[in-house]
Amino acid sequence: MAVDKSIPWGEWIREKDDPRFNREKPEALDDLWVLDLSYANMGASFASSILAECGANVIRVEPPGGDPARTYTPFGITHMGEGLGYLNEGRNKYHITLNLETDEGREILKRLVDNRIDVLIESFKAGQMDEWGIGYRQLRGIKPDLIYCAIYTYGQYGPKAACNKADADVVDQAMSGVTYVSGEYVEDPNNPQEWEVPTKQGNWQGWYNGGAYAAFAILTALHYRHRTGKGQMIDISPAEALGRMINYSLTYYHGRGETVERAGNLDAGVFCYTYFKCKDGFCFLSGFSDVNWSLLTEVIDRLDLREQYPTIFERLKFDNMKKAYKEIEKWTLAHEYQEIYDRCMAANDEAKSTGKGGVVVPGKIRSPLENVSDENNNWWIRGLFEKFKDPIYGELVIANLPWKMSGSPWRVKWICRPVGADTEFIFSTLLGIGKGKLQELKNRGVV
Amino acid sequence: MAKSDYFEWAGELFSMEEVFSKPEALSDIKIVEFCTLILGPSTPAYLTEFGATVFKVELPGMGDTMRSLTPWGWFWKNQALGWLKCARNKLHVAIDCHKEEGKELFKRLVAQSDVVVENLRGGTLDRWGVGYRDLAEINPRLIYIANNGFGQWGPYLVRPSYDAIAQSESGEAWISGFPGRLPMKSGIWLCDYYGGLMSAVGILVALHYRDRTGKGQYMEMSQAENIMRAMDWTWLYCHLTGKDRDRYGNRDVAICPSDIFRSMDGELVAVATTTDEQFKGLCEAMGKPELVNDPRFVTNLERTKEGNAEELLSIVKDWVANNTWQVVDRKAQKYGFAAEKVHNGRDHYYDEHFEVRGFKWHIDDSILGDGVEEGVAPKLSETPGRVKWMGKPVGFDNEYVFTKYLGLTQDQIKELEDKGAIGKWTDFISRTPPDDWDGKSGIIFP
Repeated sequence: MAVDKSIPWGEWIREKDDPRFNREKPEALDDLWVLDLSYANMGASFASSILAECGANVIRVEPPGGDPARTYTPFGITHMGEGLGYLNEGRNKYHITLNLETDEGREILKRLVDNRIDVLIESFKAGQMDEWGIGYRQLRGIKPDLIYCAIYTYGQYGPKAACNKADADVVDQAMSGVTYVSGEYVEDPNNPQEWEVPTKQGNWQGWYNGGAYAAFAILTALHYRHRTGKGQMIDISPAEALGRMINYSLTYYHGRGETVERAGNLDAGVFCYTYFKCKDGFCFLSGFSDVNWSLLTEVIDRLDLREQYPTIFERLKFDNMKKAYKEIEKWTLAHEYQEIYDRCMAANDEAKSTGKGGVVVPGKIRSPLENVSDENNNWWIRGLFEKFKDPIYGELVIANLPWKMSGSPWRVKWICRPVGADTEFIFSTLLGIGKGKLQELKNRGVV
Repeated sequence: MAKSDYFEWAGELFSMEEVFSKPEALSDIKIVEFCTLILGPSTPAYLTEFGATVFKVELPGMGDTMRSLTPWGWFWKNQALGWLKCARNKLHVAIDCHKEEGKELFKRLVAQSDVVVENLRGGTLDRWGVGYRDLAEINPRLIYIANNGFGQWGPYLVRPSYDAIAQSESGEAWISGFPGRLPMKSGIWLCDYYGGLMSAVGILVALHYRDRTGKGQYMEMSQAENIMRAMDWTWLYCHLTGKDRDRYGNRDVAICPSDIFRSMDGELVAVATTTDEQFKGLCEAMGKPELVNDPRFVTNLERTKEGNAEELLSIVKDWVANNTWQVVDRKAQKYGFAAEKVHNGRDHYYDEHFEVRGFKWHIDDSILGDGVEEGVAPKLSETPGRVKWMGKPVGFDNEYVFTKYLGLTQDQIKELEDKGAIGKWTDFISRTPPDDWDGKSGIIFP
């Protein structure tokens, strides 16, 4: 049976997965109730964001004074009192307060878990929840099919789990091993520069990687629960979560007895594949395999480099990379990005039509402001960026989850909520605690 | 403080000794992988650690291009390290989908599978007659995800992409590195590996929906868009201030202090306080308790302000510079703030912490022998992840897969081989077994 393909693929699939239709479709996770106790940890917040954006009912539990993460913000800038880091991850969550340092607060937490909760996320130091009597050991007695996810740099077990040190993004990145292999190498050992050091990713990649892996593990456990009815405990170390992304490190050390060292913007396994300064900014250029390298030397009109570094074996020597880099840079410095892009793409077309083969891939290093300012660009058209009007925080620009989904996609319903904004609603609907009792709890410092 | 028996209890709950005696969460899930490089292959690699059966479909002969990619041209037991990391626990089959018989085999695998992952340029498989439109007809419960640089439609459709381009076009490179220097490309294939992880999360979201409704769906993911979602406060900051986000080196401008400093004994040490309580602890550790009441430093909002932040960071920098890493570590434990040295491969290799947690994973591999890899990151108490084997030569599992899953006879397999629709490795490094392979080890069938 022939499938009708009269409509071109791109058009056909866009009708099915363009995010502008997301709000008309069902939600994948709207059968779930999640309790997010994350504290001073944007990784845990990101984990519950993923679930909330896909429809899960997420209750954010903060101490009465609010999560310290609400103060994480560049240069102390706030928007309506909120730090921008947290403002970005409050999406779709109900925000309640509960003082877990009180017996009454912990009892209420237990009742919530018992009444409704499928998944609990927390990011205290290991053993804190257990000490309070609301760790997995205790809660599984109340709710055996609970999925309990703890997020902490050093994990819940192992020699360092009890170290009492705090989780922070920079520490997660440092411990992951990724920082060690990133950043500029020392050009002149007699004169090392302050920027020639292991360098972390600019964003909270340690935390975000931890959060993504927490969501991964929770959803994996949910599938198992769907099959067997059984819950379980999950232990996420954001340091390990980011460390798992390393290209190769342990196997290299195991086999060769050497550590992988940082190579700046060069790559130990590919050249040319790096960033250059160009006349009006920065660009990326590649040409690795012999045929691609050959085409690159044509584009930049340097056939002599092809002769000098004819095979990947010459091109994979670090010293050669550094030398060849300087030669290619001479060309990029003399051209503007658009010109570089056009020349490469034209050369690719020509190489294809003549059968000569080879691809030179150009790219631009864009700044965030450049990306977000042009509302006709790729990111806006594809619904990655969205201008969203929140009833409290006003019109803001957010980046959405990366998937386009035909069946049960994500959506943002609200961007954030003030501390305790949903306490009344959640307490009355899930606990039967009304206004009067709530006031008493407030007076006693429980909420 | 935790109860004294908590860590012992947790250690037993997650014990490495018990891993292979416990069930696997995704053992009912079958995935067909039609991918090359990292972004595609890493997606099922994460899922296969939790029991999913993955058929990695490669071209007979040379297989996945990634089999050539290894640091400084150095191969471990004939294997490229860039490829090996994504090959774990997969069944390696080689099918030529340019041939009709190959397409037929591919479709038969998909018909009984749950998930397809591909990472070709948008529309390629559709053109070949094995894209989503074709496959959804034969398997309506199918979850199909296409990963690539810029997605299946939109202005960048014609553009080829790589990990480094996703880093550069997204703005991730722009915000990483030191002020006044070239934007930084991560030392790892960040947008590939992190892209694959989020692609796996997407599959699991769709799987949950299918568990509820029986319905499969189509998904696509752009790795550039994926990292943009992870760029924390960047977009709100640009929108609200009209300013660009720049590079700040190792300093976190949203949390203060949070930076990487050099200790007296030359270690690079990350130090941070993420709560006021931790900040108080750090001040005491530094012997400067008065800083807590300094109006410039009373809250993180004050501490992160320009001027204040520089002042405070220079105090912490001096303190770390005048202490050994050991002292900083001990104080961090006592006072409860965050401090850790920058770890390298050797640190991971010899630290018992990573060993008992299975981050460092030993494998006695049937084909490759004694191996060590970055193991399983998330620990699940009832259904722990595991690494069963590291990776196999091109087409190594053909007979097993085509016999067990497709019911082909030995004669039929032979015929397909003769037609070139299926095949094995060619004699080329990283497509072959290691030199000391005995010709039998690791073969599941026959």
